[in-house]
Amino acid sequence: MTKKALEVRSLTKKVKNKVIVDDVSFEVEKGEIFGLLGPNGAGKTTIIRMIVSLIGRTKGEVIVNGYHTDEQFKKSMSEMGAIVENPEFYKYMSGYKNLKHYANMATNEVTEERIKEVVKLVGLENAVHQKVKTYSLGMRQRLGVAQALLHNPSLLILDEPTNGLDPQGIREFRDYLRSLTKQGISVIVSSHLLSEMELMCDRFAIIEKGKLIHVSSINQLASQEQFVPTVLFEVSDVNQAFELLKEQQLTNDWKVVEGQQQFSIKIDKETIADVNQLLVSKGIKVYSIHPITTTLEDRFLELTGKGEKGGKNE
Amino acid sequence: MISLIKNELTKIFAKKASWIYIIILFLAVIAVGILQQKVFDLGPSDPNWREDVQAEINEYQKILKENPEDEWTMELIQQNQSYLDENIDPNAYSSWHFMNGTVIGMTMLITLFSVIVGSAVVSSEFADGTIKQLLIRPHRRWEILLSKYIATLIYSFSLLVALIIFGYIVGLVLFGAGDFNTKFFETTLDGYKLAVVGDQFVLKVLYYLPSLLIIVSIAFMLSTIFKSQALAVGIGIFVLFLSSTLGGIIVMIAEKFAWAKLLIFPHLDLTVYALQDHILQDVTLPMSLLILAVYYIIFMVLTFIFFQKRDIII
Repeated sequence: MTKKALEVRSLTKKVKNKVIVDDVSFEVEKGEIFGLLGPNGAGKTTIIRMIVSLIGRTKGEVIVNGYHTDEQFKKSMSEMGAIVENPEFYKYMSGYKNLKHYANMATNEVTEERIKEVVKLVGLENAVHQKVKTYSLGMRQRLGVAQALLHNPSLLILDEPTNGLDPQGIREFRDYLRSLTKQGISVIVSSHLLSEMELMCDRFAIIEKGKLIHVSSINQLASQEQFVPTVLFEVSDVNQAFELLKEQQLTNDWKVVEGQQQFSIKIDKETIADVNQLLVSKGIKVYSIHPITTTLEDRFLELTGKGEKGGKNE
Repeated sequence: MISLIKNELTKIFAKKASWIYIIILFLAVIAVGILQQKVFDLGPSDPNWREDVQAEINEYQKILKENPEDEWTMELIQQNQSYLDENIDPNAYSSWHFMNGTVIGMTMLITLFSVIVGSAVVSSEFADGTIKQLLIRPHRRWEILLSKYIATLIYSFSLLVALIIFGYIVGLVLFGAGDFNTKFFETTLDGYKLAVVGDQFVLKVLYYLPSLLIIVSIAFMLSTIFKSQALAVGIGIFVLFLSSTLGGIIVMIAEKFAWAKLLIFPHLDLTVYALQDHILQDVTLPMSLLILAVYYIIFMVLTFIFFQKRDIII
């Protein structure tokens, strides 16, 4: 069996009896981009900090490329490269000196060539000998990626990596992550933006109030077979239609649109035809039928329990 | 470990302030040296000094005839007589006198600068957020903290070496080469004692080292625990400048309560032992060293345990 890039088992963090992260488990395959999605304050950053041992775990295990962080700390740490929130640097030193500093801390030797290679990869050749205090946020972000990649880690952990990047930068960043996974590197990214995850990740976990409430691939989430769509009917008599459908036990998630002769129910493709036939055969006029496509956004809101309140998740 | 210490030294010396402190130290030595030479007119021995001292004794004896009970004058005569007996020119001033007096006095600045640098070594990593990038490397936390501690001590020690070398050069230029074995009278709390100037200097430097170590360690501990440089520097300087004042108060308290001898303050300045054999009636050097050692171990254990357990949440 091939080793997973990362295994997280029952990760739990309690601070003064308050549970911040509650029994979170997931796995990341090799060469996969895995997303941690959730609103701000859901516990994504806490999970990431526990993975990289910045904060202690109340319970749970972290295994990186087969190395257990408790038993083989140094080996597991050298398999990881990370940016935790904003990448911070020694502003009074040049970008190059900062990288050299981290290169010195690696357990495997990081050669001058490797540093140059990484600098070229993130496109900082022209600025790398300037002091970091002259860098823009985008440049710091790229230097952050550079320091995380220096020691050839097998797992890259990026906490809110697109913070402060412009759309162009985000796009480049995405393409760049893709090219990394082709070399067999796995990536974890966290974000509170679903649209971003949709474009970036292969699979993702939704974190809400410290709990992992859903893991799926982007395709699964959007797939119409997996999720029964909601269909809107416009008919001549809503009440009669309700009675009819109730007999057939088809009033799954029945909702009436107030003031209009419309109702919506949750049924699959085949049943739409059956319902239509039933209504028409009993003399109810069907003016229109149309499926309401559930977007990923709706699905996300539904899962995090904010859709019903109409709450908007930024 | 060596590479970690090198990294920390790189960071210390990449800050302009670290160099400015050395420059201030040099300027202070030059300024005080010139002041002593020009204003107080200190310089090499006058060949006719014996006649001058004898003339002074004659003057005092005239005063004594008019005032036979004047103890102050009697003491002055006695002191001048011992200059003649021991063949010591009281006004002779050479590079070694400069070392024993002024350069030793300047160690106060070394402690001050070491406290500032030592407290920044940990707290600035927290203030800049770079601590999280530092602790996700394949090194145990105590190793990283130890490397910082050693780097701080190396910086302090370099300051001391720089002061001694520079002080000697300035002394040589301004006051001329003196004999290391020159005898002189050192003023003490009980009066004065006959000593060899070079020996006194070496003794004071040796007695200074434990104090430097302890005060830097206190600053280092405070900056690790409170993550705040301002607080660490503040308390560090407070301890530094108040230890002499508090020491005086504690002398009085110690007469009534024996436990006051166990407080750290009277023991912080061991250079007193270069002048006398005991402090606080019956406390001797080994006792002071033992008390300092106990405090030192407590401080170090606290610092390292605290740092090892801390959750990094910035």
